[in-house]
Amino acid sequence: MAPDHTPAPPLVFTPRPSAPPPPSTVGVMGWLRANLFSSVPNAILTVLGAYILYVFLEAIISWALVNAVWEAPNRRACLDAVGRSGACWPGVIAWLPNLIYGLYPKDQVWRIDLGALLLVLWALPLFLPRVKSKVAIGLTAVLVYPFLVSYLFLGGEKGWLWMGLVAGSLATFFWVWLTAICEMRTGQGFIPLLVRTLAGPDPIPERARLVRQLAWAALFVTALVIVSRWQLVEVPTRLWGGLFLTMVISGIGITFSLPAGVLLALGRRSSMPLIRGFCVAFIELFRSVPLITILFMFNTMLPLFLPVGVEVDRLLRAIVAVCLFAAAYMAEIVRGGLQAIPKGQYEAAAAMGLGYWQSTTLIILPQALKIMIPAIVGNFIGLFKDTTLVSIIGLFDMLSMARAVGEDTRWLGLFIEPFFFITMIYFVFCFAMSQYSMNLERRLGGGQRR
Amino acid sequence: MSSSTSTAPPRASFLNDAGVRAFVYQAAVFLAVTGLLYYLVSNTITNMSQRNMSAGFDFLDVSAGFNIAFTLIPYREGDSYLRVFQVGIANTLLVAVIGIVFATVIGLIVGLARLSTNWLIATLARWYIEVLRNTPLLLQIIAWYFGVFNLLPRPRESMDWGGLFFLNNRGFYMPGPVPQEGFGWTLAALLVAILGAVMLVMWSNRRRRATGRIFPGGMAATALIILLPLAVFYGSGAPLTWDWPALRGFNFVGGISVPPAFCALVVALSIYTSCFIAEIVRAGIQSVAHGQTEAARALGVKPSRTMRFIILPQAMRVIIPPLISQYLNLTKNSSLAIAIGFPDLVSVWMNTSLNQSGRAIPIVAMTMAFYCVVSLAVSGLLNLYNRRMQLTER
Repeated sequence: MAPDHTPAPPLVFTPRPSAPPPPSTVGVMGWLRANLFSSVPNAILTVLGAYILYVFLEAIISWALVNAVWEAPNRRACLDAVGRSGACWPGVIAWLPNLIYGLYPKDQVWRIDLGALLLVLWALPLFLPRVKSKVAIGLTAVLVYPFLVSYLFLGGEKGWLWMGLVAGSLATFFWVWLTAICEMRTGQGFIPLLVRTLAGPDPIPERARLVRQLAWAALFVTALVIVSRWQLVEVPTRLWGGLFLTMVISGIGITFSLPAGVLLALGRRSSMPLIRGFCVAFIELFRSVPLITILFMFNTMLPLFLPVGVEVDRLLRAIVAVCLFAAAYMAEIVRGGLQAIPKGQYEAAAAMGLGYWQSTTLIILPQALKIMIPAIVGNFIGLFKDTTLVSIIGLFDMLSMARAVGEDTRWLGLFIEPFFFITMIYFVFCFAMSQYSMNLERRLGGGQRR
Repeated sequence: MSSSTSTAPPRASFLNDAGVRAFVYQAAVFLAVTGLLYYLVSNTITNMSQRNMSAGFDFLDVSAGFNIAFTLIPYREGDSYLRVFQVGIANTLLVAVIGIVFATVIGLIVGLARLSTNWLIATLARWYIEVLRNTPLLLQIIAWYFGVFNLLPRPRESMDWGGLFFLNNRGFYMPGPVPQEGFGWTLAALLVAILGAVMLVMWSNRRRRATGRIFPGGMAATALIILLPLAVFYGSGAPLTWDWPALRGFNFVGGISVPPAFCALVVALSIYTSCFIAEIVRAGIQSVAHGQTEAARALGVKPSRTMRFIILPQAMRVIIPPLISQYLNLTKNSSLAIAIGFPDLVSVWMNTSLNQSGRAIPIVAMTMAFYCVVSLAVSGLLNLYNRRMQLTER
């Protein structure tokens, strides 16, 4: 545009500022109108809902907080003070260690705390930014961590095999943290970094492999030295209980069910009729009967199944039942994930010359696992809730412990308070997990959402 | 490949042949599984002979000799184990059917509430679902039993609804119908009315599809089902008397009574399952594209008819399969009755009978067979339904 001739300013359209929206549609009033009082029936519903909410919250708060007793020597004192109008929390507080640790010896409880701390430490890199090996770390947290804490919780005499497993697990833990630190600082994993520094930036494959093997051997030997120095008192499983036992059973269940479920699902989709038949029979049998019948079955029949004289721990019977049950459910989840992978992926993998196991582990499963994560978390929540069933066959999980409070002579008849307390614990755990999985679903499925 | 001297395709080496490999793998798996089974069975036989246990089904005719607190079908203390099994099945199915009805009704209401435009109602429904879905069912059952139904007033101070229904810590009491001679005619009329109603609805649907004219088939069918049996009932002289529950001494006598454990179980199961059903209903309705509603509105279809004729039929296709699997879950979960002493199949059969007779293997096998049959039958029906739905879609 030429700058020299500037005629009188033409008629420029200047919009008048738009009128403010009607006051009834903005701000708090507008929101209330739109969402709560848009019509007469809606207003009635709102009032009704508010009334229900008020009654409910008022009852809970006045019982659990306002009228509650926090310090009393026994239940009699609670009843004398407030009767049934308020909660009697001292009973729950006195039983809190039992609700969490069961009958685990008081001087050994630090082992459980240490185990929990190790789990937190193991999972922590998953929440750190710039850590790239999150999938590997997550998988080891599920599949390897249990071996480390098995000795921590059980203690006693450890054979060579067990010692090796525990040492391997500890070595993996070292690897997790070294990897996390290296990736945060340099963007490269621990082992690749080691290979780079020791064998040069572009090493011949043999040397790189040697360095890798030496690194793992060094980690393992360090761990073995630590583990062999470790001597812990044996704590028999009949003393295990409370939230700790709940965690152990559901943890082992999920650890076992993940690989077993993958194998069963692959078997079910196999083209070999015999293998498919076995897998279908196993999955359908364990999915169609209630968990309690499986628990009963293993409780009464596992001693019969094994050679004469072999004593099976009660906890082990429950764990076997829970594992098989969880594996059948996991298999169906994995099958769903596998079915969601387009056939082109299989064909492309075959066209690249990959064999069955190569294409499954490198192409199909990584994609399927990503889709399955929300369902797996859902399964874990279900398993966590279902562990309460072991109380029926006489294990002292959190539910049994809560029932035991009311049978204590000091707190005779105190049922509602411990139930309320453990309900909150279950809710917090399950709700947190379900929110996390929904969050994950939103992040992972972002590109595919319609 | 051009025309070469050998026309046969190049054969892979024997070890890489897919057929050979498949055979070897399957043979290995077969051997492993049969080996494991053989090991387990031989151990079991040794163990059982050592403990003088028997695996036969001959105990089924033996008198069980224990009492059952609540039975749907008649049972006396001297009846056989087979009868105990039947009683257990009947009780389990009773809990399942009643639970399914309640769970569906509550779940439908909560699911629709979850979709409400009213923020407060939707939020309340959401938290109802979140809280109840994220706590163990067993905990809920025990809480309902010990925390609610056991703390109800004693029979003398029982809660009373019009002198007909009573609720106290011994259970729930309601009037029971006692059919007299000639009541069969009413039942027959009911049957005829139901048949007629089905035909009426089918006819009205066909006519609507052909001509577009709407006949209130649902209303007419309901009227038929109610009015025809009622007319026959009074026409034949009202051959039905009621057995009223009445307070006699320390407890109620007469009428139909259900124990607190049953109430707790049904309430807990239906509330717990209703959360899952609510989410299924919500997902189903949300799965119908919004364009369908807009298109219906553009064509001038009334909102109520939009829901009935356009949204629901499409949502049903998404809702029904997971709904049925929730029904199955409810049936399986009813086995938790054992925790509060309600005599369902697992409780009377897998617990009491097993402990008393010691026949672990037949009893476990029969229990599992029952649940397997139920769930396989239901999933078979579901597959049939899915196939039909798929056919109509394409």
